[in-house]
Amino acid sequence: MKAALAGRVSPQSLVSAVFRLREIGILLALGVAVVFFAIRATNFMSVSNWQGIAQNVAIVLVVAVGETMVVLTRNIDLSVGSIVGLTAYLSAATFAHHSGSPLFVVALIAIGIGVLCGLVNGVLVAVAKVPSIIATLATLAIFRGIDVKITGGGNITAYQLPDRFLKLASEKPAGLPALAWVAAGVAIVGAATVRWAPWGRDFYAIGSNPEAARFAGIPVGRRVITAFAISGGLAGLGGFMFASRFPTVDAVAAKGFELDVITAVVIGGVNVFGGSGTILGVVLGGLLVAVIQDGFTLLRISEFWRLFFNGFAIVVVVAIDALVTRRLQEALRRRRAEALAARHAEAGA
Amino acid sequence: MRAVKSVVVRLLARWETLLVLAIIGAGIWSWQLSPFFLQRANLLDLLTPYIFTGLMAFGLAFVVIAGEIDISIIGNMAVSVVCFAQLFAAGVNVWLAALIGLGISTVLGLVNGTLVSVLELPSLAITLGTMAAYGGLAFVVLSGEGVASFPVHYTNIGGGYIAGNQLPIALFLVVGAAVVLGLVLHATRFGRYVYTIGSNREAARFSGIPVTRVRVTVFAISGLMAGIAGVDYVGYFGSARADAGAGSLLDVVTAVVLGGVDIFGGAGSMLGVFLAFVLVAELRNGMNLANIQGDTQDIVIGGLLLAAIVAGNLLRAAQAGRIRVGPLRLGRKEVVGQEAAEAVVSSKLATQNLKGR
Repeated sequence: MKAALAGRVSPQSLVSAVFRLREIGILLALGVAVVFFAIRATNFMSVSNWQGIAQNVAIVLVVAVGETMVVLTRNIDLSVGSIVGLTAYLSAATFAHHSGSPLFVVALIAIGIGVLCGLVNGVLVAVAKVPSIIATLATLAIFRGIDVKITGGGNITAYQLPDRFLKLASEKPAGLPALAWVAAGVAIVGAATVRWAPWGRDFYAIGSNPEAARFAGIPVGRRVITAFAISGGLAGLGGFMFASRFPTVDAVAAKGFELDVITAVVIGGVNVFGGSGTILGVVLGGLLVAVIQDGFTLLRISEFWRLFFNGFAIVVVVAIDALVTRRLQEALRRRRAEALAARHAEAGA
Repeated sequence: MRAVKSVVVRLLARWETLLVLAIIGAGIWSWQLSPFFLQRANLLDLLTPYIFTGLMAFGLAFVVIAGEIDISIIGNMAVSVVCFAQLFAAGVNVWLAALIGLGISTVLGLVNGTLVSVLELPSLAITLGTMAAYGGLAFVVLSGEGVASFPVHYTNIGGGYIAGNQLPIALFLVVGAAVVLGLVLHATRFGRYVYTIGSNREAARFSGIPVTRVRVTVFAISGLMAGIAGVDYVGYFGSARADAGAGSLLDVVTAVVLGGVDIFGGAGSMLGVFLAFVLVAELRNGMNLANIQGDTQDIVIGGLLLAAIVAGNLLRAAQAGRIRVGPLRLGRKEVVGQEAAEAVVSSKLATQNLKGR
């Protein structure tokens, strides 16, 4: 029975079945969480609560799409929290000093600053060959230091900001918060990029096997720099959104935000060894993180249990993913060996 | 004459010598920033506030030399600190409570080690997860408040003085730890195993080294040192809080990497880590005297960390003969880094083989 099954299922469909299972797994966990909180917390299923969840998940998601591209190339970007904090302050400060500035222009400035930060990371990793964890640990401190230097201990409060900027967070076209529409747009473009753009496909190739990617003629260094630049740019956009959602911005804004982002990415099924994962999974992962955060708040469970939960979830998911991948590789290897043996037997006969 | 010259060159070319020069240079810079720097009281007390980062760096060095990373140490220290404080607040003897705290941090290190070595999971992702998990756990154990009023005979360990109220007791702790761990790393079979595993884990396994056990042990050492750092931390600050040590991961990692420990594993010395710890503490002290804010100091320390790795990469490439340093002709640039490190290892193995014959 097992052999018959193995004979019929091709290796490709076995792999894709496992990955589909991965997304179904997150969906199941999401369902369980929603049902649990719906029963336990009274206001959980209200429209306004879900709009709040959508606002929270939107910012995490925008940054997580960029982080996904970095993780796909077998790297990590720890500095996104500091980039969000820096650009959040700069966006708010721009509006505070020039209240007439167009939203679009300020968003572009935030993205531009984010891209610059990302380029620094990318060059450090791809050209100076600094391991990404160390490089971005250093830039996490450096970007935050620059943020502190710029704020000079001061902060910007909501009443200094123009209404049209604050409306970005409060307005809800078609029932969905404006921030969530932005996030949806970013997620769709991001998903299309890694799925269809040739240079987006390269991220997977680099993460699966950097050596092979190099020999296949992929400009590995340039692609890694691109991934970091996108991650930085989207963190810049995230900072712009962050300032409209939490309009009192100071130098500690978004401290530790990178952990939420990385949790969403890892729970969403992006392999920390690089080379596999989808934006759809990350969207579900981000949603799961946001739902649990919201449910914990409604049930008045300490904020710190959430931190613990984030870390615990990363460990468990990484463990399960690694074990499943190992099993899968073994199964594929065994199947190849069987096929080879069968062909030999045929030739012998 | 030639022999003398080559000894001098070899001594000068050592990473540790460069660190000593850097320490002197940073001292001159700090003295320029503030004339108070060279006062005896300041020089003697220079390291005291940062000793917990040094203690953690000594433990982390084992993990990095073995080719792994442990970024959960700050959270680990926080857990041991709050457990220790809660036990003390509940009336347990302060020394017994501290000992239990050490036990807890060792167990947390063992958890990392088991996940990484037994289940063969990536240490980066695992310790990133346990960093958050331990950090959250610390807050759960001691929600937001602090515990203070530790007895003086205990706090002396981190903030006390002897010899006419001048020499900090914690100085003995950090030097003692460096010496003991240096002996373990450089003079025991276990230490050699750590290097071998960091250079080439597969080769280590084939030569009969108990790889899994050694890798679990390095994480346990890292955990234990986080616990000892916690004991010193509470002693110095006189109070225990759940966010103990927040933000000092940068200093710990910088001390390890700047100390010449190869971030890809297999090389490094305890003396180097100790000197780099002194350099980082000295820079922070100098900037404090010059009234530069903590977060702004991070820009300097972060830059130092990056510079240390880039310098190490260039040095390795030069040693592998990929870059001619003589007439200053830089070779192909893409060979810097991992490949260069591998080339060093393989050429070393080759020469060892030749010598063997």
